[in-house]
Amino acid sequence: VKALLRRGPVSQGGTVRVADLEIDRLTQQVRRGGRRIELTPKEYGLLEYLASQPGRVLSRTMIVEHVWDESFEGLTNIVDVYVRHLREKVDAPHPVKLIHTVRGVGYSLSEEPAL
Amino acid sequence: VTVRSIRFRLTAWYAGLLTVVIVALGALLFFHIKSYLEGTLLETQARRARQISDTLVANAGKTGEAYVAREVAALYDPEKSDRFIRITSRDGRLVYLSGVPFSQAFDPAAVPAAPPSPLAEFTRKQPIANGPALLIAAVRAGASGSAYLVEVGTSAAPVESMFHHLLLLLGLGLPVVAILAASGGYILIRRTLRPVDEIAGKAEQITQHNLGERLPVLATGDELESLSIALNRMITRLDDAFLNSKRFVADASHELRTPLTILRGELESMVQEDGVPAQHRERIGGLLEEVERLSMIVERLFALSRLDAGEAQSEWVLFDLAELVSTTAGQMTLLAEDRRIAVTCDIGSPVMVRGDRSRLKQVVVNLLDNAIKYTPEGGAVNLRVFASQGLAVLEVIDTGVGIPKEDLPRIFHRFFRVNQTRSQYPEGAGLGLAIVESICYANRGEVEVESAPGKGSCFRVKLPLAA
Repeated sequence: VKALLRRGPVSQGGTVRVADLEIDRLTQQVRRGGRRIELTPKEYGLLEYLASQPGRVLSRTMIVEHVWDESFEGLTNIVDVYVRHLREKVDAPHPVKLIHTVRGVGYSLSEEPAL
Repeated sequence: VTVRSIRFRLTAWYAGLLTVVIVALGALLFFHIKSYLEGTLLETQARRARQISDTLVANAGKTGEAYVAREVAALYDPEKSDRFIRITSRDGRLVYLSGVPFSQAFDPAAVPAAPPSPLAEFTRKQPIANGPALLIAAVRAGASGSAYLVEVGTSAAPVESMFHHLLLLLGLGLPVVAILAASGGYILIRRTLRPVDEIAGKAEQITQHNLGERLPVLATGDELESLSIALNRMITRLDDAFLNSKRFVADASHELRTPLTILRGELESMVQEDGVPAQHRERIGGLLEEVERLSMIVERLFALSRLDAGEAQSEWVLFDLAELVSTTAGQMTLLAEDRRIAVTCDIGSPVMVRGDRSRLKQVVVNLLDNAIKYTPEGGAVNLRVFASQGLAVLEVIDTGVGIPKEDLPRIFHRFFRVNQTRSQYPEGAGLGLAIVESICYANRGEVEVESAPGKGSCFRVKLPLAA
């Protein structure tokens, strides 16, 4: 199962779109509402992973395994910090929030409000 | 040599007892020989006195006292043979008194009169000023058996000189014998007790991590052999008890994993189902958090039991500990920044070690996570990696809350948590440091801690340096 999950998004290459968020996988550029957003490599990795399976709730363990390519207890706490940073950059300036927290499970990225 | 050691006490007892026995035996011998010699001498004097009494004094009535005195002087020549002879009549009149002997040992004229005695024959030891005593035998003689008192005496000088001789011999010999006995005893006891030192030394080395080892058993056939055998049996029982408890933890954590996974899966799908009211979703989320916490504890216990069993060592590679630490610190920096804690690394040249890289990374993660967690906002965490005396050393130093002194010995125990942190940081389970210790042992290293409450802690991991 993990191997399948790691294989990543179905839409290989090109641009991933969720609402007005655009992620260019080739240039690793992110825009929202046409405005460019500067992300660190790990923030980009996290956003891309979330956007690759829109609407799906991804657990912190899954995120660590995919984005950091290793799993350690203690490292999962980092996900919370990165998600918060990502929210500040991606969601804060916009009325429609894309990153959702599902208590006890993890995080998801979708146009619709939280489950 | 400690005064309370068996070695010292036994030796002291040996030497002490031997001295007492020799002194007692010497004293007994002494007084026995002395009284025997004096008795013999007195017996000789008494015989002579009887002789004088029977042959001369008995006939004094016929021969006259002057004849008796002349005959005694001629026959016995007391001056030449250092003898004292005195014949007195009942009314105290002196019949004969020997002259001053050639040896000048005593003055016969100064010898006091015999004390009154009802006996026909009696002896006494007459002290003499500035010289050995006189041994004097007195015999009553003459008409009606008591008209005269014949006293014959001789100096006790030979007895006393022998006495002094013996005393000197004993006085010089005793310390020699005592020293010989003490040193001989000490060597013998030390040889006998050497296995005890060996057993104690080995017993000190046996901890819960090497309960498979045993104490040396010397086939001496004595009590020490049976002691070491008995101790070894005890270690075997301890080993079994430890194995049982480990097996229980391993089995229990293994059995709990599957139901927990199912539970979590079910709850996760429930929470994501359409039409679940927000209120229920919140409650299921709370349950999921608890399930996650439970899973974490079970996973940690499972990891610990695998480390205990020696199964966890998945790889054995050569790698740079300094690089591992700086990479991990880099990954976790954000966590620290989030709490405004400065993480600094003092890392110089590569420090190569051999071991399970990913397990050792867990050590770094756990120690760093703890350091960040237990350091107040605005504090600092310093990581140091260096080589020292054949060891690769990693130090994680924080300016955190510290650990109370009484809790330090138990800080690596499973489920142990410092009371204060238990209430302040409820999310931990008290297994992180136990895992750190187990991984360090599995990689032939060790971990130690220094801490000052309120100032901070320093966790130090030591691993063998790869040659």
